[in-house]
Amino acid sequence: MAELALKNVVKRFGNYEIIHNASLDVADGEFVVFVGPSGCGKSTLLRMIAGLETISGGEIHIGGTIVNDVEPADRGIAMVFQSYALYPHMTVEENLAFGLRMTGNPKKDTERRVQRVADILQIKELLNRRPRQLSGGQRQRVAIGRAIVREPQVFLFDEPLSNLDAELRVQMRVEIARLHKELGATMIYVTHDQTEAMTLADKIVVLRGGNIEQIGAPLDLYDNPANQFVAGFVGSPKMNFMSGAVIEAQGQTITVALSNQGNVPITLPVENFEPRIGEKVTLGIRPEHFFKAGQGDADLTIKVDVAEHLGNTSYVYANVSSGEQIIIEREESRNESNRDTLTVAIRASNVFLFDNTGNRIR
Amino acid sequence: MQLRNRAAYGFLAPYLLIFAIFWIWPIISSFWMSFQNTRVNPWAFNPGMNWGRLFSDPAFYNALKNTMIILVIQVPVMITLATVIAVLLNSPLLKARGIFRFAFFAPVVVGEVAYAAVFRLMFNLDFGIINKLLNKIGIPSISWFAEAPFAMALLIIAVTWRWAGYNAIIILSGLQSIPEDVYEAATLDRVSKFKQFIYITLPLLRPVILFCVVLSIIGSMQLFTEPFLITNRGGPGGGTETLGLFLYRQGFASLNFGYASAIAYTMAGLAIVISLLNLWLGREPK
Ligand SMILES: Nc1ncnc2c1ncn2[C@@H]1O[C@H](COP(=O)(O)OP(=O)(O)O)[C@@H](O)[C@H]1O
Ligand SMILES: [Mg+2]
Repeated sequence: MAELALKNVVKRFGNYEIIHNASLDVADGEFVVFVGPSGCGKSTLLRMIAGLETISGGEIHIGGTIVNDVEPADRGIAMVFQSYALYPHMTVEENLAFGLRMTGNPKKDTERRVQRVADILQIKELLNRRPRQLSGGQRQRVAIGRAIVREPQVFLFDEPLSNLDAELRVQMRVEIARLHKELGATMIYVTHDQTEAMTLADKIVVLRGGNIEQIGAPLDLYDNPANQFVAGFVGSPKMNFMSGAVIEAQGQTITVALSNQGNVPITLPVENFEPRIGEKVTLGIRPEHFFKAGQGDADLTIKVDVAEHLGNTSYVYANVSSGEQIIIEREESRNESNRDTLTVAIRASNVFLFDNTGNRIR
Repeated sequence: MQLRNRAAYGFLAPYLLIFAIFWIWPIISSFWMSFQNTRVNPWAFNPGMNWGRLFSDPAFYNALKNTMIILVIQVPVMITLATVIAVLLNSPLLKARGIFRFAFFAPVVVGEVAYAAVFRLMFNLDFGIINKLLNKIGIPSISWFAEAPFAMALLIIAVTWRWAGYNAIIILSGLQSIPEDVYEAATLDRVSKFKQFIYITLPLLRPVILFCVVLSIIGSMQLFTEPFLITNRGGPGGGTETLGLFLYRQGFASLNFGYASAIAYTMAGLAIVISLLNLWLGREPK
């Protein structure tokens, strides 16, 4: 019923094109997260779906019909704003019921819906308060409640948790996941926080500079990023990138020297890549893919800057002075005393390879 | 006293001195004067004389009545108009916004005498443009200055013209402090633009509008320039004499400062009472 599709959607503000040919399919009941750095056009895209911004090109379909010229109110969507956008002069109860009352929804039904939402979000005892008497987390609940009351087909969230403190953010994240399960509605969620994206999404849309870089399930993006940008954006701590130069190429294998890491060579199998000798490439390797010295295909000796012991795991930050920081996740380092240098191994099978424009080679 | 406080008061001293001499002292002194018989030399303490006369003086009641009529009609009309102007000025559809804002604000900076002269010309019986326009649509000429109700209407029009834009700018600043996303939320809540205005804009403007109302009440209570200059010293025959003008005549034409002081205190008292009443009526609902 409430599937959603973007077809070559373009947005221009004056002469500036902000969204370039975005295409996307969202299935009914799916939880889709738009993620990307600040200013990449996430909000703009969301607001175009809501109808708060006009569409400069392409089509947006909701529930099978083109909504380009449909009023926002008639698109069957509800939106939760980053700033909450609660009506400051109304009580929580009035905030929840305002839309229904203004459109002549039957009194009994309005009451029932408000009560139901208050139950779902556990805000019964707040109903008579004004927004300014609420904490950030409570305001956020009310804002979400105001969306639920409308019983929309599609929920749109614009960075709903970004104004909350870390602990509350985790709590509300779980709550939103629970809501999605309970309501079964289609949800589109905007965030710049990759953890939120990874934990909430059925499908992640990675945006950069108004382009969709990759669309996929969270673990797909993690295991199989389309390019260096996605590889660096998804995962925490970030993937390590090391510059290298091709020093040998023989058919389907190449050998790369890690230019900033003492020119350590590593041999990698590749497909459809015919490099020049000396060609610059970037190796990517995730923090958890470092092993004890000798247990991989190449050994790196690194200079430890800081080690963070979190209990269940530890992060070692190293080699800042080489201009190329390396972050290593090591469970065993908890029992090691902090050392100045450390030798670790990497395996060719874990290595991603990107060309100097960021396209993925392997 | 700490050194830094002493220095601070030192810097404030010139101002405080002037404030005390030209503000505090006249206020106290005129209060004292209102209990004096100022028609004899030297002045004599006679509390019943001015205050007793005030409550039985038909000229005072006439001025009070005129002032109240102007206040009751002019303030609501002007504030409504100012709100409408503010909304129009705030419209994203409006081009050359800066020019319009200045145009509506401009009457405040025009000299009072100049503006009064222009109004006298425009409303002139024989060759004023207003009567010419009225004639064009079939209405006979009105003698604005010779008939009291028309003279009152003229005052109300003039004062509204002069101050509506000023209030509109204040209300506009209130409008601009309402976040845009509240309206977007209401739009998605399927609330029409008109209902958004009634149920969101107006309630959120309440404090600003109340502020404008109180300012206007105080202004109307003191109304002087317009009846003095436009309707020729409260003419016809006291038909537009306001409290401000009445005070002026008693104090500076008849030089009866005791009586004028009593009138001044009555005006201030009324302005305070009416303003408080408004603040109470317009208070935030609990
Ligand atoms: N109304 C507007 N007029 C002009 N440029 C805008 C407008 N809204 C957004 N932009 C620009 O569009 C780009 C994307 O903005 P936005 O969608 O808010 O990014 P995000 O939500 O990903 O941080 C930014 O460069 C921003 O400056
Ligand atoms: Mg944004």
